[in-house]
Amino acid sequence: MEEKKKTDSVETAGIPSSSAAAAAEENPLLSELVVRAVGVKKLYELGGETVHALRGVDLSVKRGEYVSIMGPSGSGKSTLFNMIGGLDKPDEGQVFIDEVDIAALDTFELAWLRCHKIGYIFQTFNLIPVASALENVMMPMLFAGMTQADAQDKAAEILKRVGLGQRLLNKPSQLSGGQQQRVACARALANDPAIILADEPTGNLDLKTGEEIIHMLEELKSEFFVTVISATHDHKMLAASDRVVYLTDGSITDIKRREDLDITFGTIGGQTH
Amino acid sequence: MAKYEYQSGKTIHGIQRRRRQLPIHHTLHIAWQNIRVRLGRSLLVTSGIILALAFLTYIRGSDILARNVVTQGPPVLGERIEELEAQRQAFLAADPQIASKLKAKNADEDHPPKTAEENQFEALQKKMRRTQQIRAGLESEGLTGLDDKDARIQTRWMLSLAMLVSFVGILNAMLLSVTERYAEIGTMKCLGALDSLIVELFLIESFFQGVLGTTAGIVIGLALTLIEGQARYGSVVWTLIPYGGFLSTILICFTAGIVLTIGGALYPGYRAAKMRPVEAMRAEV
Ligand SMILES: Nc1ncnc2c1ncn2[C@@H]1O[C@H](COP(=O)(O)OP(=O)(O)OP(=O)(O)O)[C@@H](O)[C@H]1O
Ligand SMILES: [Mg+2]
Repeated sequence: MEEKKKTDSVETAGIPSSSAAAAAEENPLLSELVVRAVGVKKLYELGGETVHALRGVDLSVKRGEYVSIMGPSGSGKSTLFNMIGGLDKPDEGQVFIDEVDIAALDTFELAWLRCHKIGYIFQTFNLIPVASALENVMMPMLFAGMTQADAQDKAAEILKRVGLGQRLLNKPSQLSGGQQQRVACARALANDPAIILADEPTGNLDLKTGEEIIHMLEELKSEFFVTVISATHDHKMLAASDRVVYLTDGSITDIKRREDLDITFGTIGGQTH
Repeated sequence: MAKYEYQSGKTIHGIQRRRRQLPIHHTLHIAWQNIRVRLGRSLLVTSGIILALAFLTYIRGSDILARNVVTQGPPVLGERIEELEAQRQAFLAADPQIASKLKAKNADEDHPPKTAEENQFEALQKKMRRTQQIRAGLESEGLTGLDDKDARIQTRWMLSLAMLVSFVGILNAMLLSVTERYAEIGTMKCLGALDSLIVELFLIESFFQGVLGTTAGIVIGLALTLIEGQARYGSVVWTLIPYGGFLSTILICFTAGIVLTIGGALYPGYRAAKMRPVEAMRAEV
């Protein structure tokens, strides 16, 4: 508890997220900290050489926050992302999602966590190529045990929300990059997750499309009450962040809040921000 | 849009452990869709199975057919020769000179036109000669021809080779169809798919492909066997089809095809399902 308080006050104080606070108050099982990484280390052996991908990362993310992880290529963003998302195991340290240590979960619980708690968005979209946009978004719902009819309605509704109401039956190959990423966003939201993890969601998109996606993620964040953790190495993609965590060579070197960010909020999607 | 209730009660404590993640018809649907949408790819994989099974069926089928024809052929052919001889005698009774007239016309360089009877008579004689040749061949070859040491070793060699080709071909095809989808498997795991679901998906898919490929392969193999039999022994093969032997060939080849196909998909599928999502998504084919 002491440790939690400390990280709380050091890293997440002063971030407005009243809805999340209310949710946490209503349900004592849910803490305000949705993600907590403690001393996470990850090593890779590459041809007899040891690569320190993460050198002991501590990070806490508050419910409803939009955190960007910023760093040059090879700094360990994806590695951290994979640890937080339960896609890979740290060599040392722990990751807590809703105060549950994910190292303690068995495969069934891990699958449940990925299905219900976390929505993933990848740089390469990673849609299922043989399935339509609708079926892609329905898939995690079906995994969660929803009926076909319910899943169909809900998936269509989310797709409409991300602006793809007319493309429900298109296969990913029939959609543009930006549209595919919108489908991926919709799919990430399928089971009302607590966290959306986005690893360079704009990496394969042009600037304008990328900004649209970021802007949409920011909107979805408050609409769906999710926490967004997004990795990027592009300064222009930081506009929506409540907090930016700078990662260099596997260590956190700086954390900046929105108000301290040294970026100009330009026009996004034609609107002045 | 309607806001979805924030699921405040959703915690990992006390989750319900379902053995089946998706109802079977969903899994069947996804598997079928995978095959249908990747038709070109699945046809390539399936054609590997078809070729292997056609080869296996042909090698075994033609051996069984040859045995049947050799043992039961001579008496059947003898009857046929007698029939033909009776027809020939009928022609000779109608026109005793027909044989010599035909001979003269065939020898004439001007190719004088033949009558309908003469043409029929000529065809009859040819058929008889060929039937006699086949019978003589079968009698001299006999089972000893099939059963002598060299021939038996050769057949066994061919069968083992056919088995090996089928093994390698099918395993390779299945391995390919799993490895090329590592990224997709990783993605599905990220969406919360259980390992068992992924294994199940590959099982069903390979079962579809196995049944399809094996059936087609057996049909092609048997057709080849019969076509070759017709070419070697003439139309008599159609009365000498070893139904029992063919049935056992079909059963053996079908079982082998299905077991190999499913086995070939099960191992790489299981390995892929057990991978951590990052490993699967990063894996290069
Ligand atoms: N599977 C792996 N095997 C060996 N080394 C790895 C592996 N994955 C990552 N690394 C190493 O770990 C370090 C961090 O990689 P990571 O992918 O996390 O960087 P990143 O910040 O996401 O970079 P980028 O912006 O290019 O995506 C790099 O030095 C990389 O070479
Ligand atoms: Mg990366």
